[in-house]
Amino acid sequence: MEPNDIRAKLLCLLAAVAPDIDPESVDPERDLRDQFDFDSMDALHFASGVSAAFGIEIPETDYPKLASLRAAGELIEERMAPGR
Amino acid sequence: MKIEFRLPSLGADMESAVLTEWLKKPGDRVRQGEPLVTVETTKGLIDVESYDDGQLLEHLAQPGAKVPVGAVLARLEVEGTSRSPPAPPAPHATPAPPVPHAPPAPPAPHATPAPPAALTAELPAPAPALAAGSPEEAAAPHARISPAARRRAHELGVSLEDLERSGGGDIVHIEDVEKLAARKPAAPTDERALMRATIGAAMARAKREIPHYYLGHCVDFGPARDWLTRHNAPLPVKERLLDAVLITKAVALAAFRLEGFNGYFRSGRFEQSTAVNAGVAIAVRGGGLVAPALLDAHRKDLATLMQELSALVVRVRAGHLRSGEFTAATLTITNLGAEGVDVLYPVINPPQVAIIGAGAIRDRPWVEDGRVVVRPVLTLALAADHRVTDGRAGARFLRATADLLAQPQAL
Repeated sequence: MEPNDIRAKLLCLLAAVAPDIDPESVDPERDLRDQFDFDSMDALHFASGVSAAFGIEIPETDYPKLASLRAAGELIEERMAPGR
Repeated sequence: MKIEFRLPSLGADMESAVLTEWLKKPGDRVRQGEPLVTVETTKGLIDVESYDDGQLLEHLAQPGAKVPVGAVLARLEVEGTSRSPPAPPAPHATPAPPVPHAPPAPPAPHATPAPPAALTAELPAPAPALAAGSPEEAAAPHARISPAARRRAHELGVSLEDLERSGGGDIVHIEDVEKLAARKPAAPTDERALMRATIGAAMARAKREIPHYYLGHCVDFGPARDWLTRHNAPLPVKERLLDAVLITKAVALAAFRLEGFNGYFRSGRFEQSTAVNAGVAIAVRGGGLVAPALLDAHRKDLATLMQELSALVVRVRAGHLRSGEFTAATLTITNLGAEGVDVLYPVINPPQVAIIGAGAIRDRPWVEDGRVVVRPVLTLALAADHRVTDGRAGARFLRATADLLAQPQAL
């Protein structure tokens, strides 16, 4: 999967968790908690969406790796890389 | 029997709502707890549920209409007597066992979910304190604006300066306010201002009327954290439990067992509620918060509570809640752990008599058997109503909650 496709899919997932935010306004570098007042339930919904949409396992210890859109993209690329 | 279906109060300081959409039409069968109509309030869209089984006969208010709390929205034919408010207060709880270590009590006999309004015959809410102390009121002597118009302006987020200008020296009436409001498209900031005003009014009432006392207690969250880690490890993400669910269940059980924290203070006396409907404060993006309830939280298992909390957050984010969730909370839990603060000193949401604040769970030095060890520590804070309980009862309540969290497998 191309990084752009991953990003587009992540934005959809983000919109599902937080229908009141504008996907255009997402700063990929910024922590989602600071950017959109994500609480622990929002973070869990996002992690759950990522796990289901990309078919990857996300143990609890990896939640911090989903803190920003860029970090999430990197985690997904790593998990989906061939040979894993 | 034929009954009138009225707009319930969906919060101590709600005065009115705008009818958005009928979900049932005349002739439709309705069941208790089923949404009949959607209204828009300062808390967002709320589906108002039927109190009874029966049939909808006719609509008496149309979409777009602004209706005050208590107004008749529809007529229903219901089976037997109606459960709709104003209803007598729920029967008092049997005295809770005094020992915090008591095993979980058997489920209360009333197995059916409490009707949404069983505990909340708060109809209509006392005239809110919106005007007292608001900037608008302070400006009143200089403005030729009728009191009703001033109140309406406050509701609609119309500034008094704009009104004075538009009045051109004449007295400003309620119609003028509505005309002016209609010219100004409702901006998100107006909604936020309305929500802020609503919260402000409720909290001003709390601080004016409720003699709060506060207690804090540090809890070793180690056993709960270890249990959660083991419990969650094999589960897919969406079935995993959050810390907040364990805390909610522990608080709900403590509130069920100890008298004086779960219920309402109304008309000069405290009414203990049999069910623990745990209000959970959920922040609204951009400012403000709502505290819908997890009904019968003391009787539900953790997985069910997790699912319901998850669904509540989704509905809050979508700005669409249900009336039962708003009218039912018998105490509130507020959790700011995600924001990293250690202690949260909360303000009681009237007519409730207690609120529990949870701070961040942080690794800290902890003394155990004479040795210093590192433990995840949660600081719980209780704000409770001195008209109902004293510090000693509050201390027992917090200790009972801590004891419950020490045995997470039993929650």
